[in-house]
Amino acid sequence: MRTLLVWLAGGGLFAGSLQTALANGWNMPVGVTELSGDIYSLHMIIFWICVAIGVVVFGVMFYSLFRYRHSKGAKAANFHEHTLVEVVWTAIPLLILIGMAVPATATLKKMYDASDADLDVMITGQQWRWRYEYLGEDVAMTSNLATPRTQIRGEEPIDESANYLLEVDEPLVLPVGQKVRFLFTSDDVIHSWWVPELAIKQDTIPGFINENWVRIEEPGIYRGQCAELCGVDHAFMPIVVHAMEEDEFETWLVDRREAAEQEAMGIDREWEMDELMERGEQVYGSVCASCHQDDGGGNEPAFPALAGNQAMLDDRDWHIDTVVNGVSGAAMPAFSGTLNPVEIAAVITYERNAWGNDSGDTVQPSEIAELMSD
Amino acid sequence: MWDVIKSVLAAFFGVQKDSQRREDFEQGRPGLFIAVGLVMAALLVGLVALVATLVAR
Amino acid sequence: MAPKVPPQPTLEQSTTAAAGHGHAHEAPPKGLMRWLLTTNHKEIGTLYLIFSLTMFFIGGIFAMVVRAELFQPGLQLVQPEFFNQMTTMHGLIMVFAAVMPAFTGLANWMIPLQIGAPDMALPRLNNFSFWLLPVAFALLLSTLFMPGGAPNFGWTFYAPLSTTYGPPSTTFFILSLHIAGISSILGAINIIATILNMRAPGMRMMDMPLFVWTWLITAFLLIAVMPVLAGVITMMLMDINFGTSFFDAAGGGDPVLFQHLFWFFGHPEVYIMILPAFGIVSAIIPTFARKRLFGYASMVYATAAIAILSFLVWAHHMFVVGLPLVAELFFMYCTMLIAVPTGVKVFNWITTLFRGSISFEPPMLFALAFVVLFTIGGFSGLMLAIAPADFQYHDTYFVVAHFHYVLVPGAVFAIMAGVYYWLPKWTGHYPNERLAQWHFWLSVIGVNLTFFPMHFSGLAGMPRRIPDYALQFADFNLVASLGAFMFGASQLLFVAVVVLCVRGGRKAPGRAWEHAEDLEWSVPSPAPLHTFDTPPKFERSSH
Repeated sequence: MRTLLVWLAGGGLFAGSLQTALANGWNMPVGVTELSGDIYSLHMIIFWICVAIGVVVFGVMFYSLFRYRHSKGAKAANFHEHTLVEVVWTAIPLLILIGMAVPATATLKKMYDASDADLDVMITGQQWRWRYEYLGEDVAMTSNLATPRTQIRGEEPIDESANYLLEVDEPLVLPVGQKVRFLFTSDDVIHSWWVPELAIKQDTIPGFINENWVRIEEPGIYRGQCAELCGVDHAFMPIVVHAMEEDEFETWLVDRREAAEQEAMGIDREWEMDELMERGEQVYGSVCASCHQDDGGGNEPAFPALAGNQAMLDDRDWHIDTVVNGVSGAAMPAFSGTLNPVEIAAVITYERNAWGNDSGDTVQPSEIAELMSD
Repeated sequence: MWDVIKSVLAAFFGVQKDSQRREDFEQGRPGLFIAVGLVMAALLVGLVALVATLVAR
Repeated sequence: MAPKVPPQPTLEQSTTAAAGHGHAHEAPPKGLMRWLLTTNHKEIGTLYLIFSLTMFFIGGIFAMVVRAELFQPGLQLVQPEFFNQMTTMHGLIMVFAAVMPAFTGLANWMIPLQIGAPDMALPRLNNFSFWLLPVAFALLLSTLFMPGGAPNFGWTFYAPLSTTYGPPSTTFFILSLHIAGISSILGAINIIATILNMRAPGMRMMDMPLFVWTWLITAFLLIAVMPVLAGVITMMLMDINFGTSFFDAAGGGDPVLFQHLFWFFGHPEVYIMILPAFGIVSAIIPTFARKRLFGYASMVYATAAIAILSFLVWAHHMFVVGLPLVAELFFMYCTMLIAVPTGVKVFNWITTLFRGSISFEPPMLFALAFVVLFTIGGFSGLMLAIAPADFQYHDTYFVVAHFHYVLVPGAVFAIMAGVYYWLPKWTGHYPNERLAQWHFWLSVIGVNLTFFPMHFSGLAGMPRRIPDYALQFADFNLVASLGAFMFGASQLLFVAVVVLCVRGGRKAPGRAWEHAEDLEWSVPSPAPLHTFDTPPKFERSSH
């Protein structure tokens, strides 16, 4: 009796400490959607089933190892078969698994029902950033890593308060309580869009569109990362979702739409060199620097240096064409779908004048807009 | 034939008596066992696919 | 005393097989040429094992680079580009050049001895299939020095990252994998031919040791899936060099097709790396429990069931690529089914231990650790089978923890158990027990320190294949890296034990382990170069 109590207490202590550990950032998050909660429960059920089986199986094993030691003079028994026992221990796991399959199937069916969405967002993976388009709302944006490269390379200390590697310049903003359908695709290789708190992980595949959906229950900021190896900067394309109340979201959407219109009007006017350089530096830092480096030094052979690149400086049209249309069969993507004419004009101007390139050229947004409309 | 099916079913379940196993290996024709095994594997695929299709509706 | 068991070889052949009756065998060439030209299954087995051990250390060094970079947040040692090459090469080398050749080496040494055959059925082919391997992997390793670097797209080399976006060395990688694949297929054909045709008179299929059985089934798996791998890498080759678009959506191809083909090869491949391990453990546990293996017939049947099911579960590696619901359900159900025969095996080993008379020699230590730690890997596999939960686990460190548990304390520990078990037969000496115990305990502690925390970092949200990570994963990674250095360093002890054992040590008799039953223990230790020139008479006691 006493030994039984000791065992029970020990078992309770073990289960308790496991539970505590799992509750403190060692476990899958419960998340903020109904489905993430369902998935968390499935995860915990199968986990405790495994723990239970493990306790029995390893219990018998270690008992045998201890009890039937040759050194203690144990004599081996002579049995090697018992059909009933074998049938039972095959049937029990089978029944447990069938029991497990039922709730798993139900959850899976819910996950696959993306019908009747209130809002559609197109998510496009690109090496190495995410592009978000609110379909039918005329709002789109590109989301890049915001952690400075200097921190990653150890040239300055990591800022511990700034969500190292999990911060972006433009979070995906979503309304709480609405059913949002995501459409996933990719411009280059396969990426995977994953936010643990939303329990969504979906591959983005070039040429194909995948679907998933979410109904967020709590406002907040949820962070994730690309989960499918996608090249050099796979570790550096985080995801931030900013979930806000519905009315707040509507206001945000209107603001963004107006800002986009403002920017569109800027296309027609003549921009000054200083303006272009300032805007260009910003765009370069978030979009170009991951391959061509902050100092324009590039990373040969895949990513040519831009600083002192005479071929580029000699041929202004080729430079513009390369940024707008990309280089087919190489790592350089076409930016006509990602950046607007102002951004493209600014970044080309920046590249032609930064790091001692000093060509003195400016490229006007109107010029790019004309090229892109052809 | 029924004996062969029973033995193959036992194999799919993963449990077999030693005596039955010995009988299979002494008297059975391997070709027959393999053929029945393949048919049963196909049936298993069909069965699971059927369940999945019904459940998914 | 030990109970009588059906696969009971008689000993009448034993000593007569000793070397010295110098008929027909010409004096072998000396020096390097002897090893280059050898057709002897024991020498080729030794070559395979030495090759595998070398590659285990090369792949291990790559792993150390990875773990050193992940020791703390930020990039310290290597750039992301090189980091990706290291993870890729680590995976490829460990799977194709360390684990698979180790099992083939053990098969070469032990299958003829266990079935009472004088050699492999096709000795010259045997030589050829070994010597393809150094060629293949010299080619693969040489890509590290090529412009653009080695393959950097992960050992699963998903298109289009490995085709349109791959480095120039990808074509060399394809060629090297082709050569390694040919070697595997030839090896498998040889093993099947040997097992089916060259068993000692009186040995029926159901009298074969489980290592022979599991290898027979493994060889069929190899023949079934290696051509699929060859097909998929040929399609890549065409996409890269000849303008086809199998996997390029822009040309009407399908990147997901690549994954279907790869995993149709890849999942059975997983079993190729674990079934022979089951065979080794099923030989060792009864020997040191002094009790016959529980449920021999069930073990064979469960192996066959696993082999068949292994062709039906490939898309559980692809739960998040956007499969239709029906496919998702089908593959989830099949994956859950495969847990059943795998569970049966574990239950059988444990029941073999129950009421045995157990001693803890080094092979037994590794075999017992295999049972426990492989089962832990099986548990996480069961969790991964639940498709909705896999949406959270997929491509995280949880998966990394899972497959390292089944491959390192699974396959690798089984190989080491096998080496310790058969070293007395190969060298005539027992391995140094004290050193082997040190090797065992350091390895067990190291392997768990390395891989257990990965479960937590994965669940907490750390994706795999990243050179740098957010700060909340720092503690887990610190522990994992320390464990990895410990595990890596303790393998030097393994080399020391093997070298010392070859050079000397306590002399081992023919039956080196008191209760070992199989036919290999009926020849002297060390096994002479030629054994079973006249077939032994295999008799089983019927009861």
